[in-house]
Amino acid sequence: MIASLWQYVLAGVAVGAIYALVAAGFVLIYQVTGLINFAQGEFAMIGAMTAASLASGGMPILGAAAVAIVVAAVTGALCYLLAIRPARAASGVTLIFITLGLDVALRGFCLFVWGTNPLSLDAFTGGAAISIFGGVVPPQALWVLLADVLVFGALYLFFRHTYVGTAVRAAVANPSIASTFGIPLRTFAFWSFVAAAVIGGLGGVVIAPITGATYDMGLTLGLAGFVAAVLGGLDSLPGALVGGFVLGIVEKLAGGLLSTGWEQGIGFLILVLVLVVRPQGLLGRAVRRA
Amino acid sequence: MTVAATATCLEVRNVAMRFGGVVAVDDVSFDARGGEVLGVMGPNGAGKTTLFNVISGVQRPTSGTVALGGMRLTGRAVEDVAALGVTRTFQTPVMFWGLTVRESIEVALAAHLFGATYPPAPWRELLPCGVGAHRHRRGELALRERADAILERAGLAALAARPTESLAFGEERLLEMARALAVEPAVLLLDEPLSGLNPDEVEAVLASIRAARAGGVAVLLVEHAVGELLSVADRVVVLDHGRLIAEGAPVAVAADPVVVDAYIGDALD
Repeated sequence: MIASLWQYVLAGVAVGAIYALVAAGFVLIYQVTGLINFAQGEFAMIGAMTAASLASGGMPILGAAAVAIVVAAVTGALCYLLAIRPARAASGVTLIFITLGLDVALRGFCLFVWGTNPLSLDAFTGGAAISIFGGVVPPQALWVLLADVLVFGALYLFFRHTYVGTAVRAAVANPSIASTFGIPLRTFAFWSFVAAAVIGGLGGVVIAPITGATYDMGLTLGLAGFVAAVLGGLDSLPGALVGGFVLGIVEKLAGGLLSTGWEQGIGFLILVLVLVVRPQGLLGRAVRRA
Repeated sequence: MTVAATATCLEVRNVAMRFGGVVAVDDVSFDARGGEVLGVMGPNGAGKTTLFNVISGVQRPTSGTVALGGMRLTGRAVEDVAALGVTRTFQTPVMFWGLTVRESIEVALAAHLFGATYPPAPWRELLPCGVGAHRHRRGELALRERADAILERAGLAALAARPTESLAFGEERLLEMARALAVEPAVLLLDEPLSGLNPDEVEAVLASIRAARAGGVAVLLVEHAVGELLSVADRVVVLDHGRLIAEGAPVAVAADPVVVDAYIGDALD
């Protein structure tokens, strides 16, 4: 029983690492723009599909991964420039509907390009499953965790040790006042979409060897990432990390101990509970803006 | 591009601001020159803060124009107006919560110093965080030294590492003033900077205003403490129900029966 629990936890950590990456994209865009981008999961899908497609065509995996992340970044930039920025004066609800529209549009476009057949991507490194205190994880899970370390480490350095990162924090704290000091909110909003798309694309690339790549994987990833972001606190990057891992572990435990149906549904139960009991999430602030 | 402070001439021409049937500012015109303190007086609801909103680009006037050194400000985005040299404070001090006192100054300084190259692309900011990158480090250190010098002048050096959430009201006012002056504005809009301060803090803010004037800044000062306003202002304009009802030297304006009737009588009472 203990061994099984440990195995569920390890599996949850691997999945949670992906959720954390998607959640980081949600949080980044929400912090800078106040917008919940429901197309965030599609950036991961585009990363996964592009990498798998290029690799199956003979491109080395690392090259395919790099191109896939660039494609995701361009997608994020275009989403902002073509859909969000022209409607920036619209209400928050309208903007959320626009991101839902983007989500459907991106999924439809990729269905058109790649079809419904799943694509596969080789693991970055081969070898047998890695044993950790009796439990096992695939070697690719370490790449996922490495991606988490890189992304959250880079975000920490950026926000805490660069003056532009400090300016973004100022803009998050009080956008209208920040703009009176010449802090360019629209530029920050653009880069938040690009950065979120890069993070999502990276997440898709590193998860594709484990889950495969399909045109509709972004929907599941996006919903899980959203739940993780709300769980951790929509205004907290550390919260995204914690929320991702907690959700992943709880999902796997529920799936293993109860039934696989619970694995799919428990995230939404958590979402409802968080919104009722602690709307600001585990690490979020009760009041977001000054 | 920031308009040179010494050449500053803020020109407010026929500015009107209507909200539905309410006329907040009604055909107001005046100039403010670099190196002078222009007091803006009037009872509550006279349109003073709305006028500041129009000048700083927060609100676009229903009609009329605002220009700085011949350059039209009306219609520009707030950040563009700020980049041209217009900075303001608010009736209630507004802090960047989550930042320290020093970071609050650094943020304003960076946006000002780096001008059109701000912000750099994220990777140019992020990559130098690793080892090396001495030039970047020098830039950051220079920024910090300037911020510390500003805090020293403002009497806030001891609070540099404190989170802004922990400041007392008077400290917030002083920080807001220091933050506004950090960007070396051509025009500084001060909205009731003395309210809620103790006498020492009032004197510190007045000293900052005089220093800004000596540095060539055009200071527009909204203040209900009439005595202090008249003592520091070089000229005064008076608003009532959105209209400009008097303009001139402080002593003359204070003695103007129309002004006494509309405002000063009440203010002194």
